[in-house]
Amino acid sequence: MTVEVTPSTFTYVYFDSAYISRIAQRLIGLFHLENHNIRIDVNETTPLAKMHIEFGDPIVINIQSGAFEDFSRPRQQSEPATTQSLGRILLKVRDRLSPEFANAPADEDLTLVQVAIWETYCVARLSRHDIDINRQRWLYNFRNRHGFNDASDRAFEKIWNSNDLTWEQLQSISDTAIALVQ
Amino acid sequence: MRKFFPVEDLARDERFNQITMDDRMADQRTAITTDSRPSRAANRIVPSRGDASDAARGLMHGIFVGEIQALEGAGRTCWDFTTGEEAPFELKLDMARQCWDEARHVEISIKLSDWMGSEIGEYAENTVLFQAACSNDPVLRLAGVNRALEGLAIDVFTTMKEFGEVAGDQYLEFAEDWMLADEVTHVKMGSDWLRKITENDPERRKKALDFQSVVDKLFSYGGTRSESQESPIGLARRFRELAGFDDQEIDVIADLSLAALEERKAAVLEAQAAHN
Repeated sequence: MTVEVTPSTFTYVYFDSAYISRIAQRLIGLFHLENHNIRIDVNETTPLAKMHIEFGDPIVINIQSGAFEDFSRPRQQSEPATTQSLGRILLKVRDRLSPEFANAPADEDLTLVQVAIWETYCVARLSRHDIDINRQRWLYNFRNRHGFNDASDRAFEKIWNSNDLTWEQLQSISDTAIALVQ
Repeated sequence: MRKFFPVEDLARDERFNQITMDDRMADQRTAITTDSRPSRAANRIVPSRGDASDAARGLMHGIFVGEIQALEGAGRTCWDFTTGEEAPFELKLDMARQCWDEARHVEISIKLSDWMGSEIGEYAENTVLFQAACSNDPVLRLAGVNRALEGLAIDVFTTMKEFGEVAGDQYLEFAEDWMLADEVTHVKMGSDWLRKITENDPERRKKALDFQSVVDKLFSYGGTRSESQESPIGLARRFRELAGFDDQEIDVIADLSLAALEERKAAVLEAQAAHN
């Protein structure tokens, strides 16, 4: 297993590639992804926080700099933000590599609702690894995609408390919540 | 009690980290894209944006710290000037009413931030609003804070109200609508007092309007607010009219904002070329 972070030296932000690499290695161990080579490409020209995976050897994770940033100290790296963002995307990598998620649409075909359910599922599992997560933030994100109602909150709870869902099960929880209020 | 309080001495606890406009301008990154495809270029904070809830949380925190500084600024205007000689009693009464409104807005903003999953101090506090409230002429403060900054607040609250409306978040929609009504009143106060105090002093009026223009330009930095969908915050023409702006004044702000956006896009292209 190798972990590479690019760029090795940052010019727009005060990030540390070795630090990012150490955090990534810890998470890779936690999620049993040691058999894969991973490269993390940080786009430091934007403060946005989008992330994208390209499968191959290595698996390439494209991350915009906002995903690792301490928003209270612009351009500085945040250890919790780096851990949460890498944790979320690495759990998604693990899901994509598993047969349970074989039928999940490609990233570019995911709807905003599908992105929200998958992110909720990733963040919830991350929180059970002793990683500090603001649950309300993700509930708000989920409500934005499923509606501000009880059916949406019940769906969120179900996903939040689950560990072994398939893509079809995730999708079904979401569909049920949306159908109930239509 | 001390008069004319400097921005560096504002009281904050350890949760807050303050930055200046210089700090913001030193950040060469930009969320403005040079990709002209409609799906890529739209930055407006709307629910259909991929990072909608995070973008709304960040803006909500900006509103929260802005409300604190607006409270501090209006409070200083009540105290810094001698009643009758430097500022009429009725103007101070309006500023006291504004303090009351801003204090309520701070509390509403904290509750909305909790609701949206943000923590106090999660984002940096830009202190430029209070800096605009440090002028030694009350008329300049009214122009810079009540007309320029509270005018921006009208744009921000309208954007957030519409966000809540489209997303189905009634708490956000109604709370923003109520605060928006107050902001329209604050801007109207600024417009009315500016006209009244400078009625027979065209030079002072010009100076105040020039100062407002500088503050407007500062807050248009980077194209954050304009009528283009490329800007995160829109320009709320209708509510600005209600607040006492005439069409020509709104057009000037619209042009200024659009120019700032184009300026930023050109700077991005230049920076990207240098980087590659």
